[in-house]
Amino acid sequence: MPYSETFKDHLAHPRNAGELANANAVAEQTNPVCGDRLRLSLRLRDGRIEAARFLAYGCPPTLACGSVIAEMIEGMKIEDAMKLSRKEIADALGGLPTRKHHAAALAIHTLRSAIEECSR
Amino acid sequence: MRKVYLDHSATTPSDPRVVEAMLPYLTERFGNASSVHSFGQEARAAVDRARRQVAAFAGARANEIVFTSGGTEANNLAIRGLGEAAQSHGRHIITSAIEHPSVRSSIHGLEQRGWEATQLPVYDDGVVRVEDVRAALRPDTILISVMMANNEIGTVQPIAEIGALVRAERKVGRRHLWLHTDAVQAAGRVPIDVESLGCDLLSLSAHKIYAPKGTGALFVRKGVRLTPQQVGGHQERERRGGTEAVANIVAFGAATELAQREMPERNEHTRRLRDRFEKQIAESVDEIVFNGSREQRLPHLSNISFRFIEGEGLLIHLDMQGVAVSSGSACSSGTLEPSPVIQALGRDDEMARGSIRFSFGKDNSEADVDYVSDVLTHAVESLRKLSPLSRDSLAVV
Repeated sequence: MPYSETFKDHLAHPRNAGELANANAVAEQTNPVCGDRLRLSLRLRDGRIEAARFLAYGCPPTLACGSVIAEMIEGMKIEDAMKLSRKEIADALGGLPTRKHHAAALAIHTLRSAIEECSR
Repeated sequence: MRKVYLDHSATTPSDPRVVEAMLPYLTERFGNASSVHSFGQEARAAVDRARRQVAAFAGARANEIVFTSGGTEANNLAIRGLGEAAQSHGRHIITSAIEHPSVRSSIHGLEQRGWEATQLPVYDDGVVRVEDVRAALRPDTILISVMMANNEIGTVQPIAEIGALVRAERKVGRRHLWLHTDAVQAAGRVPIDVESLGCDLLSLSAHKIYAPKGTGALFVRKGVRLTPQQVGGHQERERRGGTEAVANIVAFGAATELAQREMPERNEHTRRLRDRFEKQIAESVDEIVFNGSREQRLPHLSNISFRFIEGEGLLIHLDMQGVAVSSGSACSSGTLEPSPVIQALGRDDEMARGSIRFSFGKDNSEADVDYVSDVLTHAVESLRKLSPLSRDSLAVV
Protein backbone atom coordinates (compact mmCIF):
# COMPACT_ATOMS: atom_id res chain seq x y z
CA MET A 1 0.00 0.00 0.00
CA PRO A 2 1.48 3.36 -0.98
CA TYR A 3 1.53 6.17 1.51
CA SER A 4 -1.41 8.61 1.29
CA GLU A 5 -1.15 12.29 0.42
CA THR A 6 -2.06 13.16 4.02
CA PHE A 7 0.78 10.95 5.22
CA LYS A 8 3.27 12.60 2.88
CA ASP A 9 2.03 16.02 3.93
CA HIS A 10 2.79 15.19 7.57
CA LEU A 11 6.28 14.12 6.55
CA ALA A 12 6.91 17.21 4.48
CA HIS A 13 5.30 19.58 6.98
CA PRO A 14 5.40 18.05 10.44
CA ARG A 15 2.86 19.58 12.84
CA ASN A 16 3.79 20.57 16.37
CA ALA A 17 7.39 19.46 16.09
CA GLY A 18 9.73 20.26 18.95
CA GLU A 19 9.74 20.33 22.71
CA LEU A 20 7.49 22.36 25.03
CA ALA A 21 9.15 24.81 27.38
CA ASN A 22 6.72 24.37 30.23
CA ALA A 23 5.61 20.82 29.68
CA ASN A 24 4.23 18.95 32.67
CA ALA A 25 3.91 15.56 30.98
CA VAL A 26 6.81 14.16 28.99
CA ALA A 27 7.51 10.66 27.74
CA GLU A 28 10.02 9.15 25.37
CA GLN A 29 9.39 5.61 24.23
CA THR A 30 11.44 3.30 22.07
CA ASN A 31 10.22 0.37 20.07
CA PRO A 32 12.58 -2.26 21.50
CA VAL A 33 12.61 -4.27 18.29
CA CYS A 34 13.33 -1.69 15.63
CA GLY A 35 14.72 1.16 17.72
CA ASP A 36 12.17 3.73 16.55
CA ARG A 37 11.81 6.48 19.11
CA LEU A 38 9.06 8.98 19.87
CA ARG A 39 9.13 11.82 22.39
CA LEU A 40 6.01 13.71 23.38
CA SER A 41 5.97 16.76 25.63
CA LEU A 42 2.56 17.92 26.77
CA ARG A 43 1.13 20.69 28.87
CA LEU A 44 -1.92 19.44 30.75
CA ARG A 45 -4.29 21.87 32.42
CA ASP A 46 -7.85 21.58 33.74
CA GLY A 47 -8.39 18.10 32.35
CA ARG A 48 -7.24 19.02 28.86
CA ILE A 49 -4.11 18.78 26.75
CA GLU A 50 -3.37 22.43 26.26
CA ALA A 51 -0.31 21.95 24.05
CA ALA A 52 1.63 19.04 22.55
CA ARG A 53 4.97 18.71 20.75
CA PHE A 54 6.76 15.69 19.32
CA LEU A 55 10.23 14.56 18.27
CA ALA A 56 10.79 11.28 16.43
CA TYR A 57 13.50 9.05 15.08
CA GLY A 58 12.72 6.11 12.85
CA CYS A 59 10.89 5.05 9.76
CA PRO A 60 8.49 7.44 8.01
CA PRO A 61 5.34 6.06 9.71
CA THR A 62 6.88 6.80 13.12
CA LEU A 63 7.55 10.40 12.08
CA ALA A 64 4.08 10.81 10.57
CA CYS A 65 2.35 9.23 13.59
CA GLY A 66 4.26 11.60 15.89
CA SER A 67 3.11 14.56 13.83
CA VAL A 68 -0.50 13.48 13.58
CA ILE A 69 -0.91 12.55 17.24
CA ALA A 70 0.66 15.82 18.40
CA GLU A 71 -1.79 17.68 16.20
CA MET A 72 -4.85 15.61 17.16
CA ILE A 73 -4.48 15.81 20.91
CA GLU A 74 -4.02 19.54 21.29
CA GLY A 75 -7.15 20.82 23.02
CA MET A 76 -8.44 17.30 23.64
CA LYS A 77 -9.84 16.19 27.02
CA ILE A 78 -7.32 13.97 28.78
CA GLU A 79 -9.90 11.21 29.23
CA ASP A 80 -10.61 11.25 25.49
CA ALA A 81 -6.92 11.22 24.66
CA MET A 82 -6.50 8.12 26.84
CA LYS A 83 -9.13 6.40 24.69
CA LEU A 84 -7.45 7.12 21.35
CA SER A 85 -6.75 3.96 19.41
CA ARG A 86 -4.06 2.86 16.98
CA LYS A 87 -6.70 2.72 14.29
CA GLU A 88 -7.69 6.35 14.83
CA ILE A 89 -4.06 7.40 14.42
CA ALA A 90 -3.67 5.32 11.27
CA ASP A 91 -6.99 6.58 9.87
CA ALA A 92 -5.97 10.19 10.48
CA LEU A 93 -3.00 9.54 8.19
CA GLY A 94 -5.22 8.11 5.47
CA GLY A 95 -4.31 4.58 6.53
CA LEU A 96 -1.04 2.76 7.18
CA PRO A 97 0.31 -0.43 5.62
CA THR A 98 -0.36 -3.36 7.97
CA ARG A 99 3.33 -3.92 8.54
CA LYS A 100 3.67 -0.33 9.74
CA HIS A 101 0.94 -0.36 12.40
CA HIS A 102 3.61 -0.61 15.07
CA ALA A 103 4.27 3.08 14.47
CA ALA A 104 0.72 3.96 15.52
CA ALA A 105 1.12 1.66 18.52
CA LEU A 106 4.26 3.53 19.57
CA ALA A 107 2.39 6.84 19.32
CA ILE A 108 -0.47 5.62 21.53
CA HIS A 109 1.95 4.05 23.99
CA THR A 110 4.00 7.25 24.28
CA LEU A 111 0.89 9.41 24.75
CA ARG A 112 -0.45 7.19 27.54
CA SER A 113 2.95 7.06 29.24
CA ALA A 114 3.19 10.85 29.25
CA ILE A 115 -0.28 11.31 30.74
CA GLU A 116 0.21 8.55 33.31
CA GLU A 117 3.60 9.96 34.24
CA CYS A 118 1.98 13.31 34.99
CA SER A 119 -0.90 11.91 37.04
CA ARG A 120 1.44 9.90 39.24
CA MET B 1 8.74 18.83 -10.51
CA ARG B 2 12.25 17.95 -11.52
CA LYS B 3 12.90 14.19 -11.56
CA VAL B 4 16.36 12.83 -10.88
CA TYR B 5 17.05 9.12 -10.94
CA LEU B 6 20.07 8.18 -8.81
CA ASP B 7 19.33 4.49 -8.39
CA HIS B 8 21.21 2.95 -11.30
CA SER B 9 22.46 0.12 -9.12
CA ALA B 10 18.83 -0.96 -8.70
CA THR B 11 18.08 -0.81 -12.41
CA THR B 12 18.78 1.29 -15.48
CA PRO B 13 16.51 2.58 -18.24
CA SER B 14 16.81 0.61 -21.46
CA ASP B 15 19.02 2.38 -23.99
CA PRO B 16 16.95 3.30 -27.08
CA ARG B 17 19.58 1.57 -29.27
CA VAL B 18 19.06 -1.60 -27.23
CA VAL B 19 15.29 -1.37 -27.56
CA GLU B 20 15.63 -0.86 -31.30
CA ALA B 21 17.70 -4.01 -31.57
CA MET B 22 15.21 -6.14 -29.64
CA LEU B 23 11.90 -4.91 -31.07
CA PRO B 24 11.82 -7.04 -34.26
CA TYR B 25 12.14 -10.14 -32.08
CA LEU B 26 8.88 -9.29 -30.33
CA THR B 27 6.94 -9.01 -33.57
CA GLU B 28 7.93 -10.31 -37.01
CA ARG B 29 10.89 -12.40 -35.81
CA PHE B 30 8.97 -14.09 -33.05
CA GLY B 31 10.17 -17.66 -33.56
CA ASN B 32 11.09 -20.14 -30.84
CA ALA B 33 14.84 -20.66 -31.00
CA SER B 34 14.34 -24.41 -30.55
CA SER B 35 12.10 -24.75 -33.65
CA VAL B 36 13.67 -26.29 -36.76
CA HIS B 37 11.78 -24.13 -39.28
CA SER B 38 12.97 -20.81 -40.63
CA PHE B 39 11.21 -18.79 -37.93
CA GLY B 40 13.06 -20.79 -35.31
CA GLN B 41 16.37 -20.57 -37.10
CA GLU B 42 16.09 -16.81 -37.31
CA ALA B 43 15.58 -16.66 -33.55
CA ARG B 44 18.40 -19.15 -32.99
CA ALA B 45 20.81 -17.03 -35.02
CA ALA B 46 19.87 -13.98 -32.95
CA VAL B 47 20.42 -15.82 -29.67
CA ASP B 48 23.76 -17.14 -30.92
CA ARG B 49 24.85 -13.66 -31.94
CA ALA B 50 23.91 -12.31 -28.51
CA ARG B 51 25.77 -15.18 -26.90
CA ARG B 52 28.91 -14.17 -28.78
CA GLN B 53 28.42 -10.55 -27.74
CA VAL B 54 28.00 -11.44 -24.05
CA ALA B 55 30.95 -13.85 -24.25
CA ALA B 56 33.15 -11.15 -25.77
CA PHE B 57 32.08 -8.77 -23.00
CA ALA B 58 33.30 -11.24 -20.37
CA GLY B 59 36.36 -12.51 -22.23
CA ALA B 60 34.74 -15.94 -22.52
CA ARG B 61 33.84 -18.35 -25.31
CA ALA B 62 30.28 -18.33 -26.60
CA ASN B 63 29.58 -21.90 -25.45
CA GLU B 64 30.53 -20.90 -21.92
CA ILE B 65 27.56 -18.51 -21.62
CA VAL B 66 24.27 -19.76 -20.18
CA PHE B 67 21.37 -17.32 -20.45
CA THR B 68 19.14 -17.07 -17.38
CA SER B 69 16.24 -14.95 -16.20
CA GLY B 70 18.64 -12.60 -14.42
CA GLY B 71 21.41 -12.23 -11.89
CA THR B 72 19.49 -13.99 -9.15
CA GLU B 73 18.96 -17.10 -11.23
CA ALA B 74 22.57 -17.02 -12.38
CA ASN B 75 23.71 -16.95 -8.74
CA ASN B 76 21.33 -19.74 -7.81
CA LEU B 77 22.50 -21.88 -10.72
CA ALA B 78 26.17 -21.25 -9.94
CA ILE B 79 26.01 -22.02 -6.23
CA ARG B 80 23.34 -24.67 -5.96
CA GLY B 81 24.27 -26.16 -9.33
CA LEU B 82 27.94 -26.49 -8.49
CA GLY B 83 27.30 -27.43 -4.86
CA GLU B 84 25.07 -30.30 -5.91
CA ALA B 85 27.26 -31.47 -8.79
CA ALA B 86 30.48 -31.42 -6.74
CA GLN B 87 29.22 -32.64 -3.39
CA SER B 88 31.07 -35.93 -3.60
CA HIS B 89 34.29 -33.89 -3.42
CA GLY B 90 33.32 -31.80 -0.42
CA ARG B 91 30.59 -29.67 1.04
CA HIS B 92 32.33 -26.52 2.22
CA ILE B 93 31.85 -23.08 0.68
CA ILE B 94 33.74 -19.84 1.35
CA THR B 95 31.88 -16.58 0.87
CA SER B 96 31.88 -12.99 2.10
CA ALA B 97 29.73 -11.12 4.60
CA ILE B 98 28.47 -8.67 1.98
CA GLU B 99 27.10 -10.88 -0.78
CA HIS B 100 23.83 -10.18 -2.58
CA PRO B 101 20.81 -11.90 -0.97
CA SER B 102 20.59 -14.30 -3.93
CA VAL B 103 24.07 -15.62 -3.10
CA ARG B 104 23.47 -15.61 0.65
CA SER B 105 20.15 -17.42 0.28
CA SER B 106 21.54 -19.99 -2.16
CA ILE B 107 24.34 -20.80 0.27
CA HIS B 108 21.94 -20.82 3.19
CA GLY B 109 19.77 -23.32 1.31
CA LEU B 110 22.77 -25.62 0.91
CA GLU B 111 23.67 -25.18 4.58
CA GLN B 112 20.24 -26.41 5.55
CA ARG B 113 20.99 -29.54 3.54
CA GLY B 114 24.30 -30.22 5.26
CA TRP B 115 26.83 -28.02 3.50
CA GLU B 116 29.02 -25.74 5.60
CA ALA B 117 29.94 -22.17 4.80
CA THR B 118 32.62 -19.80 6.05
CA GLN B 119 31.70 -16.14 5.82
CA LEU B 120 34.71 -13.87 5.41
CA PRO B 121 34.80 -10.46 7.10
CA VAL B 122 35.27 -7.30 5.04
CA TYR B 123 36.76 -4.86 7.58
CA ASP B 124 35.84 -1.18 7.68
CA ASP B 125 36.74 -0.62 4.03
CA GLY B 126 34.30 -3.25 2.78
CA VAL B 127 36.96 -5.33 1.05
CA VAL B 128 37.70 -9.06 1.43
CA ARG B 129 41.33 -10.02 2.15
CA VAL B 130 42.94 -12.77 0.08
CA GLU B 131 44.83 -13.99 3.17
CA ASP B 132 41.46 -14.64 4.82
CA VAL B 133 40.37 -16.69 1.82
CA ARG B 134 43.55 -18.73 2.04
CA ALA B 135 43.13 -19.25 5.77
CA ALA B 136 39.53 -20.40 5.31
CA LEU B 137 40.41 -23.11 2.76
CA ARG B 138 39.71 -26.63 3.98
CA PRO B 139 40.32 -29.97 2.29
CA ASP B 140 36.58 -30.20 1.61
CA THR B 141 36.19 -26.66 0.22
CA ILE B 142 34.68 -26.90 -3.26
CA LEU B 143 33.55 -23.35 -3.93
CA ILE B 144 34.61 -19.79 -3.22
CA SER B 145 31.90 -17.25 -4.01
CA VAL B 146 32.88 -13.61 -3.62
CA MET B 147 31.21 -10.78 -5.52
CA MET B 148 33.22 -8.68 -7.94
CA ALA B 149 31.75 -5.42 -6.65
CA ASN B 150 29.30 -4.83 -3.86
CA ASN B 151 25.80 -3.63 -4.68
CA GLU B 152 25.37 -1.28 -1.71
CA ILE B 153 28.76 0.34 -1.24
CA GLY B 154 30.37 -0.46 -4.58
CA THR B 155 33.63 -1.79 -3.17
CA VAL B 156 35.58 -3.82 -5.73
CA GLN B 157 36.82 -7.16 -4.42
CA PRO B 158 40.19 -8.74 -5.24
CA ILE B 159 38.80 -11.46 -7.50
CA ALA B 160 41.90 -11.76 -9.69
CA GLU B 161 44.01 -12.36 -6.56
CA ILE B 162 41.54 -14.95 -5.29
CA GLY B 163 41.58 -16.50 -8.78
CA ALA B 164 45.37 -16.68 -8.63
CA LEU B 165 45.09 -18.42 -5.27
CA VAL B 166 42.68 -20.98 -6.75
CA ARG B 167 45.03 -21.60 -9.67
CA ALA B 168 47.98 -22.03 -7.30
CA GLU B 169 45.96 -24.55 -5.30
CA ARG B 170 45.20 -26.45 -8.52
CA LYS B 171 48.88 -26.55 -9.38
CA VAL B 172 49.62 -28.34 -6.14
CA GLY B 173 47.03 -30.98 -6.89
CA ARG B 174 43.70 -29.65 -5.62
CA ARG B 175 41.33 -30.50 -8.45
CA HIS B 176 37.96 -29.78 -6.97
CA LEU B 177 37.98 -26.10 -6.05
CA TRP B 178 36.04 -23.57 -8.09
CA LEU B 179 35.62 -19.79 -7.97
CA HIS B 180 32.32 -18.00 -8.56
CA THR B 181 31.92 -14.24 -8.71
CA ASP B 182 28.73 -12.22 -8.89
CA ALA B 183 29.65 -9.51 -11.39
CA VAL B 184 26.16 -8.03 -11.68
CA GLN B 185 27.18 -4.64 -10.25
CA ALA B 186 30.67 -4.61 -11.71
CA ALA B 187 29.51 -5.20 -15.27
CA GLY B 188 29.79 -2.15 -17.46
CA ARG B 189 31.82 -0.35 -14.80
CA VAL B 190 34.90 -2.52 -14.47
CA PRO B 191 36.38 -4.47 -17.40
CA ILE B 192 35.52 -8.14 -17.01
CA ASP B 193 37.85 -10.82 -18.28
CA VAL B 194 37.27 -14.32 -16.95
CA GLU B 195 40.81 -15.33 -17.89
CA SER B 196 42.58 -12.64 -15.91
CA LEU B 197 40.07 -13.04 -13.07
CA GLY B 198 40.66 -16.78 -13.01
CA CYS B 199 37.04 -17.47 -12.14
CA ASP B 200 35.05 -20.54 -13.17
CA LEU B 201 31.58 -19.06 -12.81
CA LEU B 202 30.52 -15.45 -13.24
CA SER B 203 27.02 -13.94 -12.98
CA LEU B 204 25.69 -11.08 -15.09
CA SER B 205 22.41 -9.20 -15.33
CA ALA B 206 21.08 -7.28 -18.32
CA HIS B 207 19.04 -4.59 -16.61
CA LYS B 208 22.01 -3.07 -14.79
CA ILE B 209 23.59 -2.20 -18.14
CA TYR B 210 20.74 -0.41 -19.91
CA ALA B 211 18.83 -3.47 -21.16
CA PRO B 212 15.39 -4.66 -20.00
CA LYS B 213 14.77 -6.67 -16.84
CA GLY B 214 14.30 -10.41 -17.07
CA THR B 215 17.57 -11.65 -18.53
CA GLY B 216 20.99 -12.49 -17.20
CA ALA B 217 23.78 -14.93 -17.85
CA LEU B 218 26.12 -17.27 -16.11
CA PHE B 219 29.59 -17.84 -17.46
CA VAL B 220 30.43 -21.50 -16.89
CA ARG B 221 34.05 -22.35 -17.68
CA LYS B 222 34.42 -25.26 -20.09
CA GLY B 223 34.60 -28.49 -18.14
CA VAL B 224 32.80 -27.21 -15.04
CA ARG B 225 29.77 -29.36 -14.30
CA LEU B 226 26.57 -27.97 -12.82
CA THR B 227 23.35 -29.64 -11.80
CA PRO B 228 20.61 -27.75 -13.70
CA GLN B 229 18.16 -25.94 -11.46
CA GLN B 230 15.52 -25.52 -14.20
CA VAL B 231 14.67 -28.77 -15.93
CA GLY B 232 12.26 -29.61 -18.70
CA GLY B 233 14.01 -28.65 -21.90
CA HIS B 234 17.30 -29.08 -23.73
CA GLN B 235 18.02 -25.38 -23.97
CA GLU B 236 21.35 -23.84 -23.00
CA ARG B 237 23.15 -27.15 -23.55
CA GLU B 238 21.02 -28.90 -20.94
CA ARG B 239 22.06 -26.44 -18.27
CA ARG B 240 18.92 -24.33 -18.14
CA GLY B 241 15.59 -25.58 -19.43
CA GLY B 242 13.01 -23.16 -20.77
CA THR B 243 12.33 -21.27 -23.99
CA GLU B 244 14.92 -18.55 -24.48
CA ALA B 245 13.63 -14.97 -24.06
CA VAL B 246 14.88 -14.16 -27.54
CA ALA B 247 14.13 -10.44 -27.65
CA ASN B 248 15.54 -9.85 -24.17
CA ILE B 249 18.63 -11.86 -24.99
CA VAL B 250 19.14 -9.82 -28.17
CA ALA B 251 18.82 -6.67 -26.04
CA PHE B 252 21.33 -8.02 -23.53
CA GLY B 253 23.81 -8.76 -26.31
CA ALA B 254 23.44 -5.27 -27.75
CA ALA B 255 23.79 -3.72 -24.29
CA THR B 256 27.03 -5.58 -23.57
CA GLU B 257 28.49 -4.36 -26.84
CA LEU B 258 27.57 -0.75 -26.04
CA ALA B 259 28.78 -1.09 -22.45
CA GLN B 260 32.13 -2.38 -23.58
CA ARG B 261 32.57 0.35 -26.16
CA GLU B 262 31.34 3.21 -24.00
CA MET B 263 32.70 2.10 -20.64
CA PRO B 264 35.58 4.61 -20.43
CA GLU B 265 33.40 7.63 -21.14
CA ARG B 266 30.50 6.40 -18.99
CA ASN B 267 32.89 5.82 -16.09
CA GLU B 268 34.56 9.15 -16.46
CA HIS B 269 31.18 10.88 -16.60
CA THR B 270 29.67 9.14 -13.55
CA ARG B 271 32.90 9.48 -11.55
CA ARG B 272 32.93 13.21 -12.15
CA LEU B 273 29.28 13.53 -11.07
CA ARG B 274 29.76 11.28 -8.05
CA ASP B 275 32.84 13.19 -6.89
CA ARG B 276 31.08 16.53 -7.38
CA PHE B 277 28.17 15.24 -5.32
CA GLU B 278 30.35 13.91 -2.50
CA LYS B 279 32.29 17.17 -2.33
CA GLN B 280 29.10 19.21 -2.09
CA ILE B 281 27.56 16.98 0.58
CA ALA B 282 30.74 16.89 2.64
CA GLU B 283 30.65 20.69 2.68
CA SER B 284 26.96 21.14 3.41
CA VAL B 285 26.11 18.30 5.83
CA ASP B 286 27.97 17.33 9.01
CA GLU B 287 27.90 14.04 10.92
CA ILE B 288 28.08 11.84 7.83
CA VAL B 289 30.22 8.85 6.97
CA PHE B 290 31.12 7.64 3.50
CA ASN B 291 30.75 3.87 3.61
CA GLY B 292 33.38 1.58 2.15
CA SER B 293 36.75 2.18 0.59
CA ARG B 294 36.75 5.39 -1.40
CA GLU B 295 39.57 4.20 -3.64
CA GLN B 296 38.68 0.59 -4.38
CA ARG B 297 35.10 1.13 -5.51
CA LEU B 298 32.85 1.51 -8.54
CA PRO B 299 32.95 4.96 -10.12
CA HIS B 300 29.20 5.60 -10.16
CA LEU B 301 28.27 4.89 -6.57
CA SER B 302 28.28 6.71 -3.26
CA ASN B 303 26.98 5.30 0.00
CA ILE B 304 26.55 7.72 2.87
CA SER B 305 25.31 7.26 6.44
CA PHE B 306 23.61 10.26 7.99
CA ARG B 307 23.71 10.24 11.77
CA PHE B 308 20.55 10.90 13.84
CA ILE B 309 18.15 10.02 11.03
CA GLU B 310 16.78 6.94 9.39
CA GLY B 311 17.30 6.08 5.75
CA GLU B 312 13.74 5.37 4.73
CA GLY B 313 12.54 8.76 6.01
CA LEU B 314 15.24 10.45 4.01
CA LEU B 315 14.40 8.33 0.97
CA ILE B 316 10.75 9.36 1.07
CA HIS B 317 11.64 13.02 1.62
CA LEU B 318 13.83 12.88 -1.47
CA ASP B 319 11.18 11.00 -3.42
CA MET B 320 8.63 13.71 -2.63
CA GLN B 321 10.98 16.06 -4.42
CA GLY B 322 11.50 13.81 -7.40
CA VAL B 323 14.82 12.28 -6.36
CA ALA B 324 15.11 8.47 -6.48
CA VAL B 325 17.75 6.78 -4.30
CA SER B 326 17.79 3.65 -2.20
CA SER B 327 18.29 2.73 1.42
CA GLY B 328 19.90 -0.43 2.70
CA SER B 329 17.71 -1.04 5.70
CA ALA B 330 14.23 -2.42 5.72
CA CYS B 331 11.75 -2.00 8.52
CA SER B 332 8.62 -4.09 8.52
CA SER B 333 6.17 -5.40 11.07
CA GLY B 334 8.10 -3.68 13.81
CA THR B 335 11.25 -5.63 13.12
CA LEU B 336 14.23 -3.87 11.74
CA GLU B 337 16.79 -5.26 9.39
CA PRO B 338 19.61 -2.75 9.23
CA SER B 339 21.71 -3.27 6.15
CA PRO B 340 23.94 -6.33 6.74
CA VAL B 341 26.49 -4.75 4.42
CA ILE B 342 26.83 -1.57 6.45
CA GLN B 343 26.87 -3.61 9.65
CA ALA B 344 29.67 -5.74 8.23
CA LEU B 345 31.76 -2.56 8.04
CA GLY B 346 31.48 -2.38 11.83
CA ARG B 347 29.07 0.55 11.91
CA ASP B 348 26.55 0.84 14.74
CA ASP B 349 22.82 0.27 14.16
CA GLU B 350 22.09 3.98 13.84
CA MET B 351 24.62 4.37 11.03
CA ALA B 352 23.43 1.18 9.36
CA ARG B 353 19.86 2.52 9.49
CA GLY B 354 20.83 5.92 8.16
CA SER B 355 22.64 4.74 5.05
CA ILE B 356 21.62 5.83 1.58
CA ARG B 357 22.97 4.66 -1.77
CA PHE B 358 23.28 7.18 -4.58
CA SER B 359 24.11 5.52 -7.90
CA PHE B 360 24.71 7.68 -10.93
CA GLY B 361 24.11 6.82 -14.57
CA LYS B 362 25.24 7.84 -18.01
CA ASP B 363 22.27 10.15 -18.50
CA ASN B 364 22.64 12.17 -15.28
CA SER B 365 23.93 15.73 -15.48
CA GLU B 366 25.76 18.21 -13.28
CA ALA B 367 22.47 20.07 -12.85
CA ASP B 368 21.01 16.83 -11.43
CA VAL B 369 23.83 16.66 -8.91
CA ASP B 370 23.38 20.26 -7.83
CA TYR B 371 19.63 19.79 -7.43
CA VAL B 372 20.04 16.60 -5.38
CA SER B 373 22.70 18.16 -3.15
CA ASP B 374 20.38 21.03 -2.39
CA VAL B 375 17.30 18.88 -1.76
CA LEU B 376 19.30 16.38 0.30
CA THR B 377 20.87 19.05 2.50
CA HIS B 378 17.44 20.45 3.35
CA ALA B 379 15.90 17.02 3.88
CA VAL B 380 18.65 16.04 6.33
CA GLU B 381 18.24 19.35 8.18
CA SER B 382 14.50 18.97 8.55
CA LEU B 383 14.69 15.33 9.68
CA ARG B 384 17.39 16.16 12.21
CA LYS B 385 15.19 18.89 13.62
CA LEU B 386 12.66 16.17 14.41
CA SER B 387 15.14 13.70 15.79
CA PRO B 388 15.39 13.29 19.55
CA LEU B 389 18.88 11.90 18.92
CA SER B 390 20.20 15.08 17.34
CA ARG B 391 21.56 18.14 19.05
CA ASP B 392 20.07 20.05 16.13
CA SER B 393 16.57 18.94 17.05
CA LEU B 394 14.09 21.77 17.60
CA ALA B 395 15.04 23.50 20.79
CA VAL B 396 12.52 24.40 23.45
CA VAL B 397 9.63 26.11 21.66
